Amino acid sequence: MTLLELDGVHTYYGESHILQGVDLEVGDDEVVALLGRNGVGKTTTLRSILQLTPPAEGSIRFKGDELVGKDTYEIAEAGIGWIPEERRMFGRLSVEENLRAAVPTAAAVAEGLELAYETFPILEERAGQRAGDLSGGQQQMLAIARGLVGQNELLLVDEPSEGLAPKIVTDVGEALLSASASVPILLIEQKLGLALDLADRYYVMDHGAIIDQGETAGVTAEDEKLRRYLSA
Amino acid sequence: MIDLAAPLVIGDIADLLTSPGEMSRIVIEGLAKGSLYLMISAGLTLIFGLMDVINFAHGAFTMYGAYIAGAALLGLGVGSMGFLGSMGSIFVVMLFVFLLLAALGVVFEVALIRKLYEYPPIFMILLTFGFAITLEELMRMVVEFGDINNGQWQIDWATPRIESVPTELASTTEIGFLSFSGLQLLQIAFGVLTFVGIWAFLNRTRYGLFVRAGVEDEEMAKALGININRTFTAVFAVGSGLAGIAGVMLALDPLWAVNVPLALAVLLPAFVIVIVGGLGSFTGTAVASLLVGMIDALGTWAFQTGVITFTDLDQLMIFGILVVMLILRPRGLFGVEGQGDHG
Repeated sequence: MTLLELDGVHTYYGESHILQGVDLEVGDDEVVALLGRNGVGKTTTLRSILQLTPPAEGSIRFKGDELVGKDTYEIAEAGIGWIPEERRMFGRLSVEENLRAAVPTAAAVAEGLELAYETFPILEERAGQRAGDLSGGQQQMLAIARGLVGQNELLLVDEPSEGLAPKIVTDVGEALLSASASVPILLIEQKLGLALDLADRYYVMDHGAIIDQGETAGVTAEDEKLRRYLSA
Repeated sequence: MIDLAAPLVIGDIADLLTSPGEMSRIVIEGLAKGSLYLMISAGLTLIFGLMDVINFAHGAFTMYGAYIAGAALLGLGVGSMGFLGSMGSIFVVMLFVFLLLAALGVVFEVALIRKLYEYPPIFMILLTFGFAITLEELMRMVVEFGDINNGQWQIDWATPRIESVPTELASTTEIGFLSFSGLQLLQIAFGVLTFVGIWAFLNRTRYGLFVRAGVEDEEMAKALGININRTFTAVFAVGSGLAGIAGVMLALDPLWAVNVPLALAVLLPAFVIVIVGGLGSFTGTAVASLLVGMIDALGTWAFQTGVITFTDLDQLMIFGILVVMLILRPRGLFGVEGQGDHG
């Protein structure tokens, strides 16, 4: 069943026409990778879904409800979580406060913290520390944990491996893999191998539109066609 | 007693400054003044920190608080109530002024400010500046046509102040070498209450957590499901209410005047404090309030004891600190890089 559906989405930054008619779907039990070179509109697609950069044209439906025109916080309340590029910690808040802010209701805080600390025990050790003082890998875990405790039905994950050491990338990949067992993910990831490992399907974007799509089964990071799309 | 006509030599000044009685006088007066400054600037810093709105109408809100306090105290006949009765009435008036100004803040935010968040900051500055002038002119009309203080808007509305301030506040108590007035104690108590109250709101409540998250990264806060518009409105209400309460406190202090120019007299030191403390930092604002309070007390003391023979040295020093701060450390004592930047 379709969980998220983008239909002819056009989005501008000022005068720049970034998304030029994006169509994509995410089903309710799959991980979908959004591939493409830098600057083709992948992050803008996520920002359009969240109405942080509202589309000028087109339709974005989540569980059948139109999202265009809603406030960003309403989209979060509807169950879409964002694990953004560069992690966007509240650096001066503690690790625990970052998690508390992500839990939708006061009543669910205890449960949310438990889930986060169970998934990433390191976060419990660092609970009282300022999030800005964490290492890059720990910040990424906190960003994922914020997505998990938000009781979301879809996670939008943007470049989770960016700037991380290879060993940490493996940890983050495993964390996302275990998360994907319970929640569908729309994933942007430059490391093609990691993206193909996690995703069930992929879309390739270029110049603000989807130019190809397919199943990831049997496709490797050495795939000629994909490499051609993604090379500069 | 020092002969005011003769200029003091360095030795006399050193004697004064090392005397525990004089020192404690300066410190207590500094704490009291710092408390008033904190009450004046707390709302401004909250609103700026979260919303990036420099509210030029903040001083006008305080001026309204002072006038409403004057009218209420006069209307209630607080002067003839005795100490407990008058203090009780003053607290009730404070609560009333807080609610009234908070409501005005909500209307201002929802009806006008909210429309301009997406525009460059100059639009917001012009809006709040215009609103400040509108409020001041409106009060001018009310004073003139309502024949308040004989229609004199530029002169201190002294009558309700003198009549309604309990004599216990003006009298001085001496314990050992410490000497303080009831008014100073009241001001310090309210300063501490303001600090603790806002600190607890920001650090111990879920709403305060949303505010701090929003101060750091508004977009991320929204994407986590925080209704930042509602948070803005609530903070604007609290900030405006605090400005009003500061007005009530100022109306009790003979060193301040209840008149229309009070709006500007409040706004300037409040801006200095918010900038010196660091834009968006409540702790910074508290520290800067104390600093400015101490300098003010020192300047006042120096004049009163004849160390200097001219007034307003404190004003010079306060703005001097602003200039030095802007050159050496433009983000202020506790400011964070990027805080208050747009984009």
